[in-house]
Amino acid sequence: MSSRRSYLIRRVLHGFMALFIIATLLFFLFRLGLPDPTAALITEGLSPEERERVRASFGLDRPIWEQYFLYLVNILQGDFGYSFHYRAPVADIIWERLGNTMILMLPAIVLAYAVGAPLGAWLSWRRGSRTDTTGIFVGLMFRSAPMFWTGMIAILVFGIGLGWLPTSGMRTLPYEASGFFDKIFTLDFLHHLILPALVVALYYLGSPLLIMRNTMLEVYGEDFIEMARAKGLPERRILYAHAARNALLPVVTQLAVTIGLAAGGQVVVEVVFSWPGLGREILNSVRTSDFPLAQASFLVMAAFVITLNLLVDILYTLLDPRVSFK
Amino acid sequence: MKTINNNLFARKLLAGAVGLGLSTLAVSATAQEPVAPINLMTTTESYDPIRYEAAFIIAERWRELGFEVNVQPTEFSTALERFYDQQDFDATILGWTGRTDRLDPQFFLSTLDSRQSNLGGNNPGGYDNPEFDALFDEQSREFDPDARQQLVQEMQELYKSDVPLLILFYRDEVVAYNNEAFEGFNPMAGEGLYSEWGPMEAVPLGERSVLRIGGPQEPDNLNPLASTSVWGWKWMRLYYDRLVRLSADVEPLPWAAESVDQVDDTTIAVTLREGMTFHDGEPVTAEDVAFTFNYYLDQDYSYFNSYLAALDSIEQIDDLTVHFHLGEPSASFASITLSQIPILPKHIWEEIEDASTLSPSDTPTVGSGPFVHERFDRGEFMALSKFEDHFHADEIAVDGVEFIIYADMEGVYTGLQTGQIDVTAWRMEPGQIGLAEAEEHLNVVNVPDFGYYHLTFNLRREPFDDRAVRRALAMASDRERMVNVLLDGRGEVGASVIAPVNTFWNDPFVERFPFDMDAARAELEEAGYSWDSDGRLVK
Repeated sequence: MSSRRSYLIRRVLHGFMALFIIATLLFFLFRLGLPDPTAALITEGLSPEERERVRASFGLDRPIWEQYFLYLVNILQGDFGYSFHYRAPVADIIWERLGNTMILMLPAIVLAYAVGAPLGAWLSWRRGSRTDTTGIFVGLMFRSAPMFWTGMIAILVFGIGLGWLPTSGMRTLPYEASGFFDKIFTLDFLHHLILPALVVALYYLGSPLLIMRNTMLEVYGEDFIEMARAKGLPERRILYAHAARNALLPVVTQLAVTIGLAAGGQVVVEVVFSWPGLGREILNSVRTSDFPLAQASFLVMAAFVITLNLLVDILYTLLDPRVSFK
Repeated sequence: MKTINNNLFARKLLAGAVGLGLSTLAVSATAQEPVAPINLMTTTESYDPIRYEAAFIIAERWRELGFEVNVQPTEFSTALERFYDQQDFDATILGWTGRTDRLDPQFFLSTLDSRQSNLGGNNPGGYDNPEFDALFDEQSREFDPDARQQLVQEMQELYKSDVPLLILFYRDEVVAYNNEAFEGFNPMAGEGLYSEWGPMEAVPLGERSVLRIGGPQEPDNLNPLASTSVWGWKWMRLYYDRLVRLSADVEPLPWAAESVDQVDDTTIAVTLREGMTFHDGEPVTAEDVAFTFNYYLDQDYSYFNSYLAALDSIEQIDDLTVHFHLGEPSASFASITLSQIPILPKHIWEEIEDASTLSPSDTPTVGSGPFVHERFDRGEFMALSKFEDHFHADEIAVDGVEFIIYADMEGVYTGLQTGQIDVTAWRMEPGQIGLAEAEEHLNVVNVPDFGYYHLTFNLRREPFDDRAVRRALAMASDRERMVNVLLDGRGEVGASVIAPVNTFWNDPFVERFPFDMDAARAELEEAGYSWDSDGRLVK
């Protein structure tokens, strides 16, 4: 128990150190790499003096070390600052957008893994058959097809052609509800969710499918499978109860990494379906050199990935007794 | 490489000659130097394929003329920075959008004023003509429109023959609307159909009486003291009234003002309409107007400072009358300033000390305009309802306005096609125009623009310090081809910084520099240039 606790503390500390380094990198990267946030104001006809005043109101006239120090202190206090572009607290924008993104990505990913993993197991059982080849082909095809393409085809067929499903946004206009839960617990929302979630799910389907199939093939060679066969257990039971459980580990890792990266959303899907998610926001924030918003978005993404990796490691100890805390 | 070395060598020779006390004139006359190579900066293909392709059309012909040209596609904001802030460019292709307040010639003419040529100013090319500057001051003080028109046209002829920049083309804004859902739209130059008049003029034909507009961008915020985007102001001006509104033909019409009169050179009297109220029921009085202008002066809102530069103070005379006192006569005060500054309710804003830091949820949205602001859900949707107590309410046929925010024009077009929206807020992609024309229920509208795409020369650098070179380069730029091929004929070849669609201020008699390679060569020859055996231009 104590080794477990010290392990956890160490891992959490490592996580915070990683975040600190990422925060620092982001701060300098954006300031060195992106154009001045007031550059776009030139086309609005602002004079150099007026633009200088705008820069000062953003705090960009202060020495860079002072800005950096303030930035770190604010982050520690959970204050991500004010968006240059929206003139609104960054945290409000990010939480709302993150919610919209996750409500699209989580169901899609869960669907992909819930279908993909058993399908992969089944294909491994039918290895070498035509079913196996077709399954691999379909999985790989959706994995390598650009999502904007699958998205556009889906819109064209189900949205415009058949007219079954809405093609953009999260809800039908005009609407009254504005709270997050009012927004998502409606049939109308589910109706809007189907197309984009399906496109994302098809894209992700390939990973669990192939990982599961290939790991299963390895597991089949193990002694305990031989043992199960010798005991005369039915093939189906060997497949799902014995082999699949042991082959799940890499799939779980992949799932956690995928969910971690999902925080950033799938920009392409969010654009094609005009989904108001974090991915679109990140793109905009970089385009407008909105430093506070861009920094915080990437930091949130990083925190997600780090946290989920930590969770996976803990989960491993539960799934696989061979892994222990050291 | 070779040419650069030659160039260096020749310079060293020159330097040596000066050091020895020889006549530099004699040396430079014999040693023919290749003309400096040109870096032509433009946008990236993904940002704007039209400006990107235009650069290659230009470069091809300039090379034919004997110049060494290197096209540099540059990320947009970086290009802006290099052009305006650093003035680190040879020649750059950029553009100015046609915002209604720029229909007054003041702004576009100022981009050639030598006092704007400092770093960050609006004249990065560095055109410096004292005569032009003097005329600029004169026209900005001239109240008589006909006299001012004379001056403005004279200025266009004056700069044009010097070619400090080349106006490439004016690109039509091509928009579309659903002719089964609404009618009655009048396009407005530079604004398309999503003008401030659009929602006031639209007449519903179907069941839905709320006009739905779709666009690929959204307001940065709806704070009338912080927004710095057209998308913010395009929306806010529907629920904030102004003293003057510009008509679709861009004539200033008294709006919330009953009358606008000039008392003397520096005093303008405005009388308000009687009986106006804000959306919360409070009356609109001269006190609110005086408060608003003073508030804008106090709050130092950069976006509007140029409009307010001429204003010294504002004085409330009685319940419905105010006097604007100007620091110096300003011809554009009534047409620009009074048509751009919204009237804010004093009883709400007087409590707010620093308006620029208001968060969106604390920002008041009470105006006195023809529509009432209902909601703005970022990334999704905005809504307005009709203000029944507005003096113009009887003329308005719609019950409200909704704006659907899409991620890109692809989404907007799909929305139009499927009847989700009635009108596009922004120009369609070239590929969508043909599709829209084929649809029975869509009307495609070409709206000429007075904003322009330009190629600006850096007059501080060789070879652009030579007027003959600039003139020759203008003649060697095939702008007809750009309009025909890149714009598919939807636009007009550039002439002056004041576009032809701006009929009152445009000078139709400026020198036009039609595409003519022979004339370009002749111009260079006359100025003492010749070509070496490789066809490279030397002097």
